[in-house]
Amino acid sequence: MFKEFAKWLKTLKNEGVDHISVEERRAFLKMGLVITGVYAGGSLLSVVSRVKEVYADIPDYVGHYPYKPHYTMVLRVDRCIDCERCMEACRKTNHVPPYGWRTRILEQHLPKGDHQWERRFMPILCNHCNEPPCVRACPTKATFKDKVTGIVRVNIKKCIGCKACVAACPYDMRYFNEEKRAIDKCDFCWESRLSKGIFPTACAQACPAGVRIFGDLSDPQSRVYQMVHDPQRALWVLRPETGARPNVFYTIH
Amino acid sequence: MKKGLLLIVIFLTLGLLLHTLPSVGQESEEEAEYPTYPIIFTKPLKAVLFEHKVHVEEAGLSCEDCHEDIFPMEAGATQENKDFNMQALYNGKYCGACHDGETAFASNTRCATCHIGVMGWKRLTGKEKGEKEE
Repeated sequence: MFKEFAKWLKTLKNEGVDHISVEERRAFLKMGLVITGVYAGGSLLSVVSRVKEVYADIPDYVGHYPYKPHYTMVLRVDRCIDCERCMEACRKTNHVPPYGWRTRILEQHLPKGDHQWERRFMPILCNHCNEPPCVRACPTKATFKDKVTGIVRVNIKKCIGCKACVAACPYDMRYFNEEKRAIDKCDFCWESRLSKGIFPTACAQACPAGVRIFGDLSDPQSRVYQMVHDPQRALWVLRPETGARPNVFYTIH
Repeated sequence: MKKGLLLIVIFLTLGLLLHTLPSVGQESEEEAEYPTYPIIFTKPLKAVLFEHKVHVEEAGLSCEDCHEDIFPMEAGATQENKDFNMQALYNGKYCGACHDGETAFASNTRCATCHIGVMGWKRLTGKEKGEKEE
């Protein structure tokens, strides 16, 4: 019986995947499946698993951008080679002391099966969350979400150094700066560059591999908008379960 | 009875000698074939790891396949060349002679296979061991 069925399946022609809507593709991508063929007038689909490669948990808040410009960064992680030029540029531009950090690189060993693994470097920085836990934790309102750009900044005059925000940050992206006697963190180079009209951030400028794409997510013409809204692209954020709604997105290819 | 004991002793000594001697010979032979220490390129950026073992034993290359047309014998000498970068690789130079997507995986894929980063470089060279947090 199955042999007959298999024979019949083999006689079918692949009608091509062009007529599948992007929404449908993305729905399958979320399940870790990529549609490779359409048969019998669209009633049969051929799919392959890309679970290992794709962790496509596209945040549901994509599409609502309350800030203008809504600054964001998209990181093409598979291109990162941990040359740490971004970290060097950041230190220099923002006067980050040796004991502190505004951005870091993590190293992952992704299992490939057969006791083998593949190295992947993952740059991390402040996610400039839409619902920042650090801002909620700050007792003096020293750390705040910029009403125009959405950048999470620190008013060092108000900071009392209690480090409640350090404990609250899901990404460990805050440190106490001894010289400033205040918390210091990534501000997308707002003070050192953006506010002076210099674009993009120092790290994005320094990256030789094109990992860090910085831009305005509320501008449909921007590269970040097009990457985030590309239904074919696997896109994810770090620790989505915290509900912080981060504005730093991760992708591959 | 004594003869038996003597035979056993002779066997043991012979066995010991024969066991140790050829293995010494094998090791020196292996050492001569290719450098076992990692070749680490740190220019133009830190860092790229090349291992002879992978290329000789897994890829089956011989010395002449790369030396000295593509790479000189002197370890790390190539990184002094101004054009030792990814663009040159894409054009089929250096590693790109094989890493073209057909002979071996393409130079613009699997970046972190060869690029071990500053972290990998520190690990291999033992730099800043005390400072490193793991």
